[in-house]
Amino acid sequence: MDPNLHVQENYANPKTCFFHVLFKAAALAFYILSALFISNFVIIFVMTVLLAALDFWVVKNVSGRILVGLRWWNEINDLGESVWRFECLDQESLARMNKKDSWLFWWTLYLTAVAWTVLGIFSLIRFQADYLLVIGVCLTLSVANIVGFTKCRKDAKKQIQAFAQQTIASHVSSTIQSAFSVV
Amino acid sequence: MSHSHSDTIPLHASSQSDIDEIENLINASVLSGPATVLPARPPSPPRAQIPVSSSPFIPSNIPPPPLASHQKPTPVPAAPPPAPVSSSSQGNRTVSSSGFGSAPNTLTEPVWNTVKRDLSRIVSNLKLVVFPNPYREDPGKALRDWDLWGPFFFIVFLGLTLSWSASVKKSEVFAVAFAVLAAGAVILTLNVLLLGGKIIFFQSLSLLGYCLFPLDVGALICLLKDSVILKVIVVCVTLAWSSWAAYPFMSSAVNPRRKALALYPVCLMYVSVGFLIIAID
Repeated sequence: MDPNLHVQENYANPKTCFFHVLFKAAALAFYILSALFISNFVIIFVMTVLLAALDFWVVKNVSGRILVGLRWWNEINDLGESVWRFECLDQESLARMNKKDSWLFWWTLYLTAVAWTVLGIFSLIRFQADYLLVIGVCLTLSVANIVGFTKCRKDAKKQIQAFAQQTIASHVSSTIQSAFSVV
Repeated sequence: MSHSHSDTIPLHASSQSDIDEIENLINASVLSGPATVLPARPPSPPRAQIPVSSSPFIPSNIPPPPLASHQKPTPVPAAPPPAPVSSSSQGNRTVSSSGFGSAPNTLTEPVWNTVKRDLSRIVSNLKLVVFPNPYREDPGKALRDWDLWGPFFFIVFLGLTLSWSASVKKSEVFAVAFAVLAAGAVILTLNVLLLGGKIIFFQSLSLLGYCLFPLDVGALICLLKDSVILKVIVVCVTLAWSSWAAYPFMSSAVNPRRKALALYPVCLMYVSVGFLIIAID
């Protein structure tokens, strides 16, 4: 089991990775290419935003879980307050997550947001308010995912630390106990 | 949830070997039996399951995946195959997880379950908001698991319908409708918050979006039939329906003396959308 960590791994979940990238790339490609071929703004808007929304859903619910073992959502508790929840797989599986998968996950997440920002700057320069609207929506969706997963990852790291502390502490105490029982 | 935040953990290099040791320890104890198994996760606060109203929650019987390379090739990522892990995690098949070695139920559920769960949430939210039901008086309970998918679809649908019925300037109509509805929802929510009301931002956005459903229906009818009188009647009816749907949530969120201040902009927005529907031909 352990030697795998040192060997060059392939993607563990190629299909998930594919879908993770697919909708992002499709939204960007559609937006960029449609300006050349389609003159109807409504279609561009609806398709791009639809693809971006699908991508948001896929990243949040599917690839986040499978590629990096993280998940975040919002709940409203009984007191009527909104609570953000962050969930992660337990430590064993987190450690076993494929490195390539998570590399792909994070990098595409950031790159997409950057790409949308650049496109937004272009349409700002050209004073196209409608296209700015499209970009605004897509950017919001990307940024929401980035923020959510980053918080989730920080949370997971805190848990790992706490867990390590706890485990060390209980290991030490059980060692001491067994030492005393021997004596 | 976090324990002491201070960095008393040793430097990374040594902690890495500690973690390896811990992993071996876990594996050893796992193989030896559940008696002294340490929790695979630190006890997190009791994780409230996402309150699903209609669909039965499918308990996840799938512990975390064993090895990265062990994945079954399935169409559109499904859950990883069950792993031969400790018996303690297999015992946790119930919905109310104790956080003990059980794979978090929503983290390893198959994709199809997630889709079904989200779809049923949209339907139940719609029913709660728009149709008469016993929960309407208590806004906190009614839209507890808000979601933005329903509002998104409704806004886009309304924009599309308006754009379709317009004979000129279709793109502008769509863009204006979408922007007005989206910005309007945000501004209305801010209005309630600034009036000192107690409402949660996303919950209110979600509510205002769902209340567009009657107007969607009205716009669709107006698209199909072209007589002005019919349009006026249909729009009035659906307008009243939308306002009736939004009323309890908005009014209970603010001080009774400011109810009108909170409700007036909502009605104004729906009236202007109604005008858009009538005026477009």
